[in-house]
Amino acid sequence: MIVTNIRRLGFYLLLAFAVSAGSLAWWQIWEAPGLADRQDNPQVIAARRSAPRGSIFDVQGQLLASSTVIDGISRRTYLDPAFSHVVGYASLRYGATGVERTWDDLLTGRSDPNPLNDLLNDVLDRRAAPRDVTLTIDRRLQDFAAAQLGGLPGAVVAIDPRTGAILAMASSPTFDATAFSGDPETAAAPWAVVAGSPGDPLLDRNRRGHYTPGSILKVLTAAAALDAGVITPQTTYPDQPQQETDGFVVSGFTIREHDLGSLQPALWPLSRALQVSSNIFFAHVGLDVGADRFIDYARRFGFCAPLTLGSASRALAADASYVSARADGGCAPFSDRVELASAAFGQASVDVTPLQMVLLAAAVANDGIVPDPFVVRDLRAHAADPVAGPSEAVVETYGGGSGRRAISSAAAGQLRAAMVDAVHGLIGQVYAGAGSVARYGIDGVLTAGKTGTAERGPEVAPHSWFIGFAPGQNGAQPSIAVAVIVEGGGAGSGAAAPIGGAVMAEWLRLLAGG
Amino acid sequence: MRAVRRPVELQMLLPLALLVPLGFAVTHIAETGTLDPGPMGLAIGFVAVMFGGHLALRLAGNRGDQLLLPAAAAIGAVGFVMLNRLPQSQLGMDLFGVEMGMATTQLLWFAVGITAMVAVAVLFRDDGILRHYKYTWALGGGLLLLLTFLFGREVNGARLWLYLGPIGFQPGEAIKIVLVVFIAGYLAEKRALLAGATTRVGPIRIPPLPYLLPMLAIFVMVMLVVVISRDLGTALLFLGIFLTMLFVATGRRSYVLMGILLFVGGAFVAYQLFGHVRVRVDNWIDPFVDPSGTGYQTVQALYAFGRGGLFGEGLGQGLPSISGRLPIPALPTDFIFAGIAEELGLLGATALLGLALVLVFRGLRTAMLARDDFSSMLAVGLTVSLGLQTLIIVAGNLKLVPLTGITFPFVSYGGSSLLASFVIVGLLLAVSHRTALDAVAEGRGP
Repeated sequence: MIVTNIRRLGFYLLLAFAVSAGSLAWWQIWEAPGLADRQDNPQVIAARRSAPRGSIFDVQGQLLASSTVIDGISRRTYLDPAFSHVVGYASLRYGATGVERTWDDLLTGRSDPNPLNDLLNDVLDRRAAPRDVTLTIDRRLQDFAAAQLGGLPGAVVAIDPRTGAILAMASSPTFDATAFSGDPETAAAPWAVVAGSPGDPLLDRNRRGHYTPGSILKVLTAAAALDAGVITPQTTYPDQPQQETDGFVVSGFTIREHDLGSLQPALWPLSRALQVSSNIFFAHVGLDVGADRFIDYARRFGFCAPLTLGSASRALAADASYVSARADGGCAPFSDRVELASAAFGQASVDVTPLQMVLLAAAVANDGIVPDPFVVRDLRAHAADPVAGPSEAVVETYGGGSGRRAISSAAAGQLRAAMVDAVHGLIGQVYAGAGSVARYGIDGVLTAGKTGTAERGPEVAPHSWFIGFAPGQNGAQPSIAVAVIVEGGGAGSGAAAPIGGAVMAEWLRLLAGG
Repeated sequence: MRAVRRPVELQMLLPLALLVPLGFAVTHIAETGTLDPGPMGLAIGFVAVMFGGHLALRLAGNRGDQLLLPAAAAIGAVGFVMLNRLPQSQLGMDLFGVEMGMATTQLLWFAVGITAMVAVAVLFRDDGILRHYKYTWALGGGLLLLLTFLFGREVNGARLWLYLGPIGFQPGEAIKIVLVVFIAGYLAEKRALLAGATTRVGPIRIPPLPYLLPMLAIFVMVMLVVVISRDLGTALLFLGIFLTMLFVATGRRSYVLMGILLFVGGAFVAYQLFGHVRVRVDNWIDPFVDPSGTGYQTVQALYAFGRGGLFGEGLGQGLPSISGRLPIPALPTDFIFAGIAEELGLLGATALLGLALVLVFRGLRTAMLARDDFSSMLAVGLTVSLGLQTLIIVAGNLKLVPLTGITFPFVSYGGSSLLASFVIVGLLLAVSHRTALDAVAEGRGP
């Protein structure tokens, strides 16, 4: 009897040891890669401390960041503060951000892009070689965009709508990361200066800034309505002209038009409504699209979930944008019709990042397909002399995602025409004409765009927004889409639109070899 | 007391004579980066102690199981090589003005432990002293407990240490053995009654309380004191030993289930009442909430496991210290398994668990072959105390259960633990020897 019980006990103990061994395998094999990426892992700190670290280049091979090992401590030098948010920093004391963080293991040679090599290196106790990273960003455009912001708090992001390659991504104010990325003993003082500066310079506004979009969100409303067949470019709302002056009563709440100045209300179809930026028109459109379908279209453009810049396995993270209140992991259903109607013209609970807004513009430019954005073009062998440019030996390339369709090609075409009118139309050019590349010396190219003036309450200057792309005419291949925000910059036509137009014009000039 | 040959034991110990010095050399080479094997005194000392134990058992004529000592020695060897390669000044002992590093101190305790093992194996060849005086043993244990409670020194919020001059020890280790002896004696005597009779309370069958009462009373008293001195690991271990022995004696899983339910209930109450329990449990649920504060050691241990991977960083190549400080301060004691898994990888750490399992299974075999209920119960209790302790600390390192501060038998740094673990091996050898002698007497054995 006892013998039987002991035998059973032996089985249970064996089971318990097996479970322990299983758990061991869980942490040592399954969870190991995740643990090895955490910033406070001594392995990460040690590798960052002493190992030669790969360099970072712009798309043209211009050096942006490189390291030298002095007295056994790796010191990082950043050459262009305009890149501080994208490139990030790799500090021995304050962790890493941006590309420096996401590509940390490859830059330091903690791991190899090829998992088989990783295994081999593990067995042979070798280190992988450090690698260099090349961005998709062109330093010339990045510096131009940063200069356009001129230190005002805000952000500019530009993307190639066809490939998803980020062309510029500047956030302002910025900071110099070199001072606290070197010797950890002397890093505290410069860090304190940066962290204590007004305007939160460490924040990457393109990925982590949350803003009310105002009228630029009407592009989303129009896209949803055109694709769903709720409106055509000719659709009008009979009550709308009267409501422009009297207000539009939704569930007992009166929605009012913004100041139309000397403009006489009339029966406006889509093109006119977009030029005038009629809140009343888009409130009608939003209500006709319906609450569920509005959120569904927002999701198709990337709203309601965190965005990523890169592939599934390796990407810079960006915050989610919302069209309604946040619910766990996404957009909550609209609480009532007033919230939906207000969201349709970009107010109420709508909360967006500049990156999400440039994707919205890019999708319209790209025939309705939201491109897969990426900011790192390739990984290369470490160049011994980084100043002389990157190595020719490309180890791995990124990007090349086909994107995903948000709206039909036909709907995108109709919307594109309306957005061209919004910049070039008789009324439109009053509001958004400053976003036209023609004003900055580029002839023969139409610009599509939309301004936004995001109200933030009384006695606070509204955010100034512009989204757009060029060339905008149907049939032309769009080569750049932009989103610009100037915090508290007032009307979209004043601060943001000129920056957007100038950045797009600069890019077209650079493409033409000028 | 006629000398015997113990050939299997000798063969199994032989590899250690090579592996321990090799381990020392490898870690020294890894540390210095030169092809210098480094000092070998401690390694040779370790091997000498183990072979000394083997010789003493031969001379004492012990016919007990020949795999117990080699298994314990092999497990101990892994820990010893690991301890030797850590910063030596962190722990250690100042014995009469002589400062000893961690590995030196541990070797001293290995010698003491092996001596105790042989002494116990010889002294308790006749089990009468244990069996008949079980209440006396229990009383002795109780006294020890009381002494600790009154005069113990508090370390890390738990009052576990008694000091005799410069030498501190943890009476909990001795009480563990005494408790096993007492429960074994009690259960062996009352087994038939316990297994048969039940008391009914409505539809629920509960153990026959009158028979259990004396044992329960003593056990509850022990648990109370242990819990009050905040020694959660020991409390869990004692409960586990008790329930397992009850299960083996009666074959009733329901008793174990009841015990576990009581424990869960008690744990819940403790979580509500005591801050230090709450910290441990919260930490267990998600150590990453406060990775640089309360969750620090747990998180660092997980990093160490992760760094190890399948093959490990290599002996001596782990990251045990950052600029002279251990990332896991309790690495030599509570977290030595994480350190071993980092350097030897999944393969090496699993092999270590395998060695522990060999020891457990030889102990259970000893229990199964024993000729009387008391010897069986004793061997089961002792074996389970080693096995459960290993499981509790390993599972704690792996975040399977909340971490509790108990040692990895034979591996962790610590004299009391080593001494108690070798005494347990000595008792198992005594039981096993008796079985073999009986077999010889019946003309079946060698």
